[in-house]
This record gives sequence, C-alpha cells and structure tokens, in this order.
Amino acid sequence: MAGRSPVKEADSSDTIPTPAQSKPPQISAKSTTPAVKSEIPSTPTPCSRPPPSSSDADVIHVPSYSRWFSREKIDACEVRFLPEFFDGRSPSKSPSVYMYYRNSIIKQFRENPSRKISYTDARRALVGDVGSIRRVFDFLELWGLVNHSAASAPSKPAKDTANNNKSADAPSLEAPSSAAPTSSSSKHSSAASRRFCGACKSLCTIACFVCDKYDSTLCARCYVRGNFRVGLSNADFRRVEITDEPKADWSEKDTLLLLEAIMHYGDDWKKVAQHVGGRTDKDCVAHFVKLPFGEEFLGHPSSDEAESGFETNKRMRLTPLADASNPIMAQAAFLSALAGVESAEAAARAAVTTLSEVDDNTASKGRRGSFARNTRREADVSSNGDTNLNALERAYADVYALLEKEERDIERAITGITEVQMKEIQDKILHFEELDLQMEKELAQLEGMKNLLFVDQLNLLFRRSYALKTEERAVENVKPNVS
Amino acid sequence: KFRMPTAENLVPIRLDIEVDGQRYKDAFTWNPSDPDSEVVMFARRTVKDLKLAPGFIPQIVQSIQSQLADFRSYEGQDMYAGDKIVPIKLDLRVNHTVIRDQFLWDLNNFESDPEEFSRTLCKDLGIEDPEVGPAIAYAIREQLYEIAIQNVTSARENRISKKGRRGAEHFPPSKAGGAALDLIKLFSFRSSVVRKRKEWGYYKPTLDLLSNEDVDALETKEERSGR
Repeated sequence: MAGRSPVKEADSSDTIPTPAQSKPPQISAKSTTPAVKSEIPSTPTPCSRPPPSSSDADVIHVPSYSRWFSREKIDACEVRFLPEFFDGRSPSKSPSVYMYYRNSIIKQFRENPSRKISYTDARRALVGDVGSIRRVFDFLELWGLVNHSAASAPSKPAKDTANNNKSADAPSLEAPSSAAPTSSSSKHSSAASRRFCGACKSLCTIACFVCDKYDSTLCARCYVRGNFRVGLSNADFRRVEITDEPKADWSEKDTLLLLEAIMHYGDDWKKVAQHVGGRTDKDCVAHFVKLPFGEEFLGHPSSDEAESGFETNKRMRLTPLADASNPIMAQAAFLSALAGVESAEAAARAAVTTLSEVDDNTASKGRRGSFARNTRREADVSSNGDTNLNALERAYADVYALLEKEERDIERAITGITEVQMKEIQDKILHFEELDLQMEKELAQLEGMKNLLFVDQLNLLFRRSYALKTEERAVENVKPNVS
Repeated sequence: KFRMPTAENLVPIRLDIEVDGQRYKDAFTWNPSDPDSEVVMFARRTVKDLKLAPGFIPQIVQSIQSQLADFRSYEGQDMYAGDKIVPIKLDLRVNHTVIRDQFLWDLNNFESDPEEFSRTLCKDLGIEDPEVGPAIAYAIREQLYEIAIQNVTSARENRISKKGRRGAEHFPPSKAGGAALDLIKLFSFRSSVVRKRKEWGYYKPTLDLLSNEDVDALETKEERSGR
C-alpha cells in the first residue's frame, strides 16, 4: 500500500500549495492560517470551492479554505476542532495518533479520488476506537480534504448530524456543514431565543411582541410605533420577554460569523453585531480582540496599499503573521517590532487589563474602548510572534529534559539491580559466617570434652596407682603380723 | 477496580446480525465514554455506507448498547489483582491474510496499548491489507476482556469462599488463570528467562497469504460450520 501511487501523491502535493512550500520563514510547527485574499478562511462556504476537473485524475483538488493542510504538520484549526488528541487526557490519543489517522484516511481516499470514501471503509482500515476515527473523518470531510471532488454528499448525514448537534462532542463541527440551507436551518433551530423583528429586521433583545394570529414578531420599537400590518391592533400582540442574552459562550459558529462580518463591514460594529445576531456590538468587539490573533483578518478599507506591499516583506522576516492582505496587521506588527518586544508586551498587558475593566463597568466610553482596542491589537500581534519563537525553544528544552530524565531512570534501574545482587551476596556471606561460628563452637565443645576425658583418665590412673600402693602396704602390714 | 487493562478503556464490540437475508458481521473497538447518541449515529452511517437494509439500524443499536451495558455492569466491581502475565493467541483470517501468533501480555500494565501493538506488528510484518490491523487489535482486546471478566468472577467467588476458609489467600493463584501460575514457575530463579528452543515455534508470528480459491473455500467451510 505504501508504494502504490507515488505519482499521484507528487502531483497532488504540487497542486495544493501547502504552507510549507510557499512560505519559507515558517517558524512555528503550528502554522498560522494564511490569509485568503477575498474569502473567509474558516467558513467553508460552498461558493469558494474551485471547479473540480474530473478529466485529470492525477490532480487532487482541495478547497482553498483547506490550504493549510500539510502531511507532516498539524495545523491550529485541527487542534481546535479535535482537542481530544491534543489535551493529553488519554495516553493513547496523541498528536502522532491523530496524524496516523488523518494521513491514512487521506491516503486511502487519494488512491481512488473519484470515488467517495465512506466512513466505514476508513474505519475498517484503521486501528483505534471508532468514535475518534469518526470525528477525524468528519473533520476531514468537512474541510474538503476527503470526498471533495467526488460526487456531492447526500444531504441526509448532514441533517442527521445537525440534529445531533447538542449531543455530539464537537457541535461546531456539524453545525457549519457543507450545504448552506442546512446550516441556516440548524442555526435557526438551535438559536431559538433569537428573534428578528418582522418589520424593521433588527434583532430583538429585551422583549418582543408576538402575534399568534399572523405569526409575526415585532421588536418593541415597531410595536410602539404601530408598525404592524393592517388588520391587527395592539391587543393582538402579546409580550414575550427575552431575558438578556446570557453571556453565552462564543461558539465556533458565532466566531465564524463574527469574522465574516468584520471582513465585510470593517469597523462598523453595529452591522457586525447584526450579522452575528444575538450579541451587542460591544460584545463583538470584546470577543474579536480576545481571539487568538493568528486567525484574524481585518479587511480595513481605508488602508494605504503601497506602504503595505513594502512593509510586508520586512514583516515576513520579523513576525510569522505577515500577509499582504492584512495591512492593519502588518502595520501593527511593524510598529510593535519597532517599539521593542518588551514594551509592546507590557502595553498589550496593560491594554488587556484596562479593557477588561472597561467591560466590567457598564458605563463605558466608546473612545476609551477603541483606543484600548487599537493598542491591544498591536500588542497581541507582537506577543504572538514572540511566543512562537519561545515555544520552539521551549519545545527543544523539553525534549532534552525528557531525554535526560530517561537516561537517569535507566541508570537508576541498573543501580537498583546491582544493589539487589549485592544484597544477595551479602546475605550469603552472613549465612556462611554464622555457619563458621557454629563450627567453632562445636569445635570448642569437642575440645572441652576431650580435656575432660583426659582428666578422667588421669584420675583413674592416679586412683589405680594409689590403690595399688595401699594394697601393697596392706599386704606388708599383714605379713609382719603373721610372722 | 475493573477496567480494561489497557491505556484506553475501550470495549471490543462484535456484531453479527442478519436481516432479510443480508448478513452483517463486524468487530471493532468502542469508547464507552462516548455519548449514547454516538451509537445511533454510528449505526446510521454504517448502514448507509454499506447500503444495508434500514431494518439493521435498530438491531445494530441494540446489540452495541447491550454489549456496552454488559461492560458497564462489570465496571464497578473489583478485579483480582495479582501476578498477571497471560498468553495471548492470535489466529485470524482477514480477507487474504492469515496470521497466527502467540505472545505474553502483562495484565497489570495499564499503559499497554493493543492498538499500538497491532500497528507495529503490521508494519513489521509488512502487511499490506489495512484491515488486518484493527482485527488484530480487536482480537487482543477481546481476549483481555475475557480474562478481565474471569478475574472479576473469580474475585467474587473468592470473597464468598473466604468466609469458610481462612487460607483462601493461597487459592487465587490457582483459580485466576492457570496460565499465570505457569509463568511464576517460569520466572523463578531456577529456570532461565530465555525461552526453550522447542517453544520458539509457538511464539513466532506466522503470516500466510491465501489465494482467492483458498479464501472462498475457507469461507464456505466457516459458513457451514457456523450454521
């Protein structure tokens, strides 16, 4: 399987402009998403797909929003969409496992690109638990890396997955699914609390008035002004309170909408808020600034293009964020580079704290907020650039530390083993010593007994000689008596 | 505490369903911490991908859920923990590849990973068929699961029998896996750690590639014996 279609692989990598080839100063392992000129990078809208050419079978088409894909690297959006592999919670779900799944699914698909690969085919060929394989497969399909130029996907799984929105692990994965109608339907179904006024088309925030007869919704303003249809009167409407939109978490969908809106409307936060739906303009701004800067795009209309062209070259060397179509970002990066890293970081931090304080205070002055915003943008840019470098160094240091730890562990194990052996030998020696001692004792005992025996023998001899002597004397005494 | 003695607490699931003359056989690993909605979704996608009759969906869901429930019922209970090095045997036929192998597995090592083992084995043996890997991992998991279940039941029995006997501590080694006992002897200081030459043949993986006719012959034989 490995060497089956080398030609195809080479061709496909040529047509897909992977970031590794087009951007030499790519420092970080997690490549920042390159800018797409006029398209929204993270929203896979159908209109941005290049026309699939079925004639040339060797060329694999990948939608432009998936240009970040590279076989050897893991992109930041992959980490975002599939966090289970990267958060270290389970030991067998590691980035290398993720890459194995992803690369094998893609390889399998590319062996026969005109044929759609089904989840079951992919699952059968991969070692691992089917849930996570499914998630990887869905992710790849969503981003058009798999099953893209083949026949269009049936809408049934999209709908199913949209329905299972709340219970699935990555709801954001399913929600912005390929077909626009399904995404809008899921958006409306999931955002039940968002209401738009039928008359003025504005978002209803605090309370709205619903007429059940004609099934129309009016915002408070329209209701008061009497902006409703002929035939209805004030009494037909009932008031529906919409609790202040709870400080909801920004889901992926909302973030995508926000970015889209910013691209289109630039600095007009009111329009942006409208586009996102359900957020005040202040919320949008606050969230936008808080977004990790690698993925942000500002299509500021009133920038000067000439300067940006020149500065981007320098910027490419200075920071990894640079891109020609982000003049504001480019300027900010340039400024921060000029100002120096530490001062920019300090400025950023100060700006962040002030901005969050501003958020807390309900009465915020617009001017102050925008100023803080601008400084924060600049600072974020520089700090992001720095952290990328530092991250790499830190990674190296970590690797060395791990190596050393391993070596030390091995040494410790070996010393442990030798210690045990030594202890064994020591025990044996002790044992022998004890035996020795016992032997000596017995020897001493034997000696003692020998001595005793000797003494006894001596005694006996003496007694005998003494007895003999007395016997002799007795005999002598008797003899003279007789004579 | 009971759990699969591997790094990931994955459950081996086996499906063998027949509906309207269509037979669906499959075996894979499932993550029990996935939400239950995953089961339904998986069933739907599988039926769609394999173009099975829609009557399969509820059966698949039911089968997976009952196996998961079985697994969960064991989950809270105690597992006997002791010297657990067990032999695992592989004897599978996947499409054209037949693999036979036997090796020792440490049950106490909760970091072990059958998936990684299977990946490495396939890579080392140069197995081209991508379906062999998951089958191997599944077989290993199934056997580990069986042994783990045995441990739970034996631990339960021991607790019951302990009431009568004081010396019940000496019994567990003989009950929980006769294989484990052999290995205690193997690793005692009298014998060496090196395996005897005559056993080398058993512990080596053997790989056979079958031709199409062999595959067909084997399949018909299996179906006949299955029925």
